[in-house]
Amino acid sequence: MNSEELFAKIQAGFPAVERAAIPVKDYLTLRLPAKEQLLPLTKWLRQAGYDYLEMITATDFKGPVDMNGYIRQPNFNPFLPEGATPEIESAATAGFPYKPVIEHLWSFVSISDKTRVFVKLELPREAPSVPTLTGLFKTADWQERETFDLMGVIYEGHPNLTKILTPDFLQGHPLRKDYVHIKDRFDE
Amino acid sequence: MSDIATPPALATSSLKTDQMFINMGPQHPSTHGVLRIALTLEGEVIVKAVPDIGYLHRGTEKLAEVRGYHHCIVLTDRWDYVSAMPNNLVFCLAAEKLLGVKAPARADTLRVVMCEMNRIASHLLFMGTYGIDTGAFTPFLYAFREREMVLDLFEMLCGARLTYNYIRLGGVMTDVTPEWIGRLKEFLVYFKPRLDEYNTLLTFNPIFMARTKGVGCITPQEAVNWGLSGPNLRGSGVNYDARKHDPYCGYETYEFDVPLGEEGSCWDRYYCRVREMRESVRIIEQALAKLPDGPVMAPGVAKVPKPAPGESYAHVEASRGDLGIYLVSDGGISPFRMHVRAPSFVNLAMLEEKLVGMKVADVIAILGSIDIVLGEVDR
Repeated sequence: MNSEELFAKIQAGFPAVERAAIPVKDYLTLRLPAKEQLLPLTKWLRQAGYDYLEMITATDFKGPVDMNGYIRQPNFNPFLPEGATPEIESAATAGFPYKPVIEHLWSFVSISDKTRVFVKLELPREAPSVPTLTGLFKTADWQERETFDLMGVIYEGHPNLTKILTPDFLQGHPLRKDYVHIKDRFDE
Repeated sequence: MSDIATPPALATSSLKTDQMFINMGPQHPSTHGVLRIALTLEGEVIVKAVPDIGYLHRGTEKLAEVRGYHHCIVLTDRWDYVSAMPNNLVFCLAAEKLLGVKAPARADTLRVVMCEMNRIASHLLFMGTYGIDTGAFTPFLYAFREREMVLDLFEMLCGARLTYNYIRLGGVMTDVTPEWIGRLKEFLVYFKPRLDEYNTLLTFNPIFMARTKGVGCITPQEAVNWGLSGPNLRGSGVNYDARKHDPYCGYETYEFDVPLGEEGSCWDRYYCRVREMRESVRIIEQALAKLPDGPVMAPGVAKVPKPAPGESYAHVEASRGDLGIYLVSDGGISPFRMHVRAPSFVNLAMLEEKLVGMKVADVIAILGSIDIVLGEVDR
């Protein structure tokens, strides 16, 4: 089953699922209309052979990254003359549609068909929450904890949704574009 | 998470023992880095194991958001620092997809050679340290003798022994010299008989087999469900190798086998890696035989690349498994978002469930057989 046939089959079962406006290059990318569709679609994909959950991640599309989110100047330039202003590291690109959403991404692989499919879902930045996939895929456990820790997505029904990579005292979710670092005893 | 579940062996036993809590790590020679496992024991049997990671978290995904595409390659070296070439490669493949650049044929072949050499170096390190973990010190010295030769070749090539920054956007840093190719061929001639030596030293050693065979078995269904990749997945008999399934850099033109295990035990995962080294030698020999002439860098890669807005995903078969990079560009000078699908991180997750019901001594055998690098787990 190649990706075109797969898309036709998904369209038959889930007419609301469409191709994403911005696809992941070279791969079939689907866009879910609502989070209620996630579990039925995942179950269908799993019985269709896409039983290898490869990746769980999310992207914050708020805008260019806030430089206050870094502990110190991340691109320190020792050759910069005294008093000169450094180049702007993070600038908005004209014409790019920034939007206050977190775009969640899953990728499923069919080992027998040698194909993969990406599934996208847009979540509101204020309260991003999706159903957990831990019941279907054990690999979702840690990957969802990572996304929760770094991006702040809440997974409904996750058995142990706790921090995994960042230290306990760190507040906020570092990969959010508006994350601001609060100084702690390990800085400087 | 599996909460305190009484293993069947204990449920039937009339002996009652106190539970004991043990911190293994973060500074423990067998954890190969800063990994802490919080173990709850009943006698010698583990009833709960909670891996604690993040000690080496450097936030490379966040750092990438303010660095240019060329600068990000330096970050990639620091994930899996014992096999950095595939890390370089996967970032370049993802960025090249965004930029619409294609590496020339000679660069592609050199990339394959470097990745396979690094696989040999990485698997040798695994073999040596796994011997130490299970009580055999001698193979370590033999493995490191050969690993030094690979690292010397890398040093001769690009000046670095671990963090190469050799594979660049659009090609590779520098061409190889005829002298270097001669040294590599000498190494291959020297190395091939050594593989048989390892088998007599460690692989079929009865004590080693008793420690690892039948220990930590993973069924194929479990392995797929856990999202394992690399030799951990193939040790369970699942034939999934990115070099065969989604070929990159012309891997479809090479003739090599994918070694598979039978029962998914520690020994199967170990033996998969040993056999993979032989396949890597085969690939390097074919690559050297057909090394095409021409440039090693594609023309037209800007000093400050600004790819058009879009998203790309690239994945390679790194030494530890399926390493993937998801890149989002907003048209700026830095990636808008970079996500690393790190194989060590995903592979490690199964420890939480797999250790329950095992003996303490088996923790080392199972942890060693997963072959993690904490730099990649924590990123």
